[in-house]
Amino acid sequence: MATSPALDVPPEGPPFKRLKTGSNGVSTASSPAPSHMADLAEQVDAQERQKYIKGRKLGSGQYADVYSAHLVSDPTQLVAIKKIKVGAEAKEFGISYDSLREIKFLQELDHPNIIKLYAVFSTKSQNLNLVLEQLPQGDLLKLIQDTSNITYTPADIKSWMLMLMRATHFCHANYVLHRDIKPNNLLIASDGSIKLADFGLARSFADPFQKMTYNTVTIWYRPPELFFQAQYYGGKVDVWSCGCVFAELVARDVMFRAWPENEINMVKMICDKIGTPTEDNWPGVSKMKGYVTPTEVVPLRPKEHWMAQFRAVGETGVDLLMKMLLLDPRKRLSAEEVLKHPFWTAEPRPSRLEDLPRKGGGMEVMGEDLKRRGGEIPNGGGAGGRGDKVARKIDFGAMK
Amino acid sequence: MTQALSEDDIYRTSTQYRLWSFSPDALASLRTKTREIAVERLRRSSEQQAARNDEPEVVEYLTEDEELRLTQRYCDQIRSTSDHLKWPVHVKATAVQYLKRFYLSNSCMTYPPKEIYKTVLYLASKTEAIHITVSDYARRISTDPEQVLAPEYKVMQALRFTLDVKQPFRGLKGVLMELLNLAEGLVGAVDGADSMNGDEVKASMLQVRRPPEGNRTQWTPPSSGTLDGKHLNDRIQAAYSAARTLLDAPALLTDVYFLYTPSQILLAAMHVADEPLTSFYLSTKLPISLSTRPQILATIHACADMLAAFDQGAVLTKDERTALEAKLDKCRDPGTKDLIKAFAAMRQDGMEDGKVEEGVAQKRKAAREKNERDGDDLFGPSLPKTNEGSR
Repeated sequence: MATSPALDVPPEGPPFKRLKTGSNGVSTASSPAPSHMADLAEQVDAQERQKYIKGRKLGSGQYADVYSAHLVSDPTQLVAIKKIKVGAEAKEFGISYDSLREIKFLQELDHPNIIKLYAVFSTKSQNLNLVLEQLPQGDLLKLIQDTSNITYTPADIKSWMLMLMRATHFCHANYVLHRDIKPNNLLIASDGSIKLADFGLARSFADPFQKMTYNTVTIWYRPPELFFQAQYYGGKVDVWSCGCVFAELVARDVMFRAWPENEINMVKMICDKIGTPTEDNWPGVSKMKGYVTPTEVVPLRPKEHWMAQFRAVGETGVDLLMKMLLLDPRKRLSAEEVLKHPFWTAEPRPSRLEDLPRKGGGMEVMGEDLKRRGGEIPNGGGAGGRGDKVARKIDFGAMK
Repeated sequence: MTQALSEDDIYRTSTQYRLWSFSPDALASLRTKTREIAVERLRRSSEQQAARNDEPEVVEYLTEDEELRLTQRYCDQIRSTSDHLKWPVHVKATAVQYLKRFYLSNSCMTYPPKEIYKTVLYLASKTEAIHITVSDYARRISTDPEQVLAPEYKVMQALRFTLDVKQPFRGLKGVLMELLNLAEGLVGAVDGADSMNGDEVKASMLQVRRPPEGNRTQWTPPSSGTLDGKHLNDRIQAAYSAARTLLDAPALLTDVYFLYTPSQILLAAMHVADEPLTSFYLSTKLPISLSTRPQILATIHACADMLAAFDQGAVLTKDERTALEAKLDKCRDPGTKDLIKAFAAMRQDGMEDGKVEEGVAQKRKAAREKNERDGDDLFGPSLPKTNEGSR
């Protein structure tokens, strides 16, 4: 199946192996114990909980608190513990969809470019605690935004994008749609590698004819078919978001940032930068439920137009970018096709992990990253900032 | 170095394989252990009670078989409730497996299935992307929302926080499509399978012997005895639909998910539906020379036997269930009786954030250490090693 070296998944030297359950739990003074004779599930849960010692709080949000922690058996092995708070919607839904989705998918996905979930345990207060890989080097957004201190090369971009595409392909090969790919969900490990995080909006591929919500993916990274209210879609939605990240890495600015930030303006911006979706370039588009475009039709932007802005990644890079941001999802490349594109094997070679620039930012950044919930944009809460137009509002009417 | 993960490699990384697949012996001993703990717990609490009242009561506990049959009855209840709500089959299958998994580490005497099944069905609706508020759900099945939510964390814990259930339904559809293609003379490339061209496959498919007595398919060959493409098409559809029925009650109400993989289950269902057609299909996949062929076929046949042996009539009737639950009422663990109250108390506990008085802490520590001694490896062996290098 692998015809391109880009599909290669290097074996990883994990910080430590997936934790085994069922081994001797080491008790710590502070850990609560079941006061009655524990059933098997309680025993396993308690053993898991007793493997870690919680350290300082790294971040605190409405949705979760994040702590640094280490293994009792080996204090040099660091992890992050994300303690999910019981939110206001608990009354209506019990354990939230975000938490359940994150737990469901991360428990199954084991890949060097996807944040690792080592374990989950509960405390007697019935909080869910997710034991995650510690990723102390901040996120990709921090690097993109720090234009005064951080410089990076096209080879660095290629390296990051390659890791992102491998993670995305792996999700899709496991029938998982991420639905919230964006720079601040791409965390950086201490070895410089990229880890896709936050599966709070993820879902499995739907069966044919099963409807899905179109109200998903943070608005700046949302593909046109979702603005047009498609209810049947697949991995191509994530590829669009990856294309937006690619463009943002090169331009060091968000590719589609509409102001005021609403769906109409986003569509307008996409028309303006790529071209207006019409029956010519996207057969059937005009019949979509939410199809609205500005009256003035912008013809598809030719390659020269793209070259002017994205020359840094060369002609092959621009070719790939254009194909990741094709309006018609049927023509847009799949994650696997992206990995088979000549870009990855063209000069320059992707940077080695140890040569990638890093910003540090330390664990606080990870704390910030993990405490958010799906679809949120950081530094929000005000006009002009990275606004707070969240993707996670679920349209119940639209879903079965 | 380029390496590709096969579907099998990926399956072996799944929690279903790592945590929820067993040999028949391991499954049986896990259930025995779970019941032993529950009985021990009951014994202790009735001793305490006896010490207080000094009127020792002789309690009759549920037998292992009774527990199994009661659980099965509630798996069936989940099936009918899910169908009543018109939810897709993957929600139903997930919920049933949640219940079955729950009772690997819990006894019906500690948590009666009557109080758990609504919770697992609601949890499954959430993890399988059905959107409904708990109040809507509770209203539609005439229950109290608090009863639905109270055991939710307990359920999550028993599920060991793994929520994905791999199922055979899509795969079965894939087999249907492939068979229809073969009947049309369209052959996909199959590595190492007997090389025939499309027309030859089609021709030999028309020659497949008729399903023997006892196969579940509704299809019968035409009276003329000669098959054409239309007959073949009907045969395939009938086999699919019989197999699909087998994936409902028989596959959900037996232990096949614990013992076999989804693809083994769906091929077994096809085998029970139309054995000659399924053997033909497998011959296009498994060349005679394949060394693992006998093992693969034996596994499918063993699973098929289990599906075929399932008897819907053996599921507890309503009266039998009522009788069993009357017995259960007498041996039910008093410590877990009021889940709603316990749920509220745990919440409260959590807010105080771990302040425990010293005497209590001492006692708990002792209890914990005892549990640890007793509890070594109770939940089965360590995780199986899955080809560490290729992760």
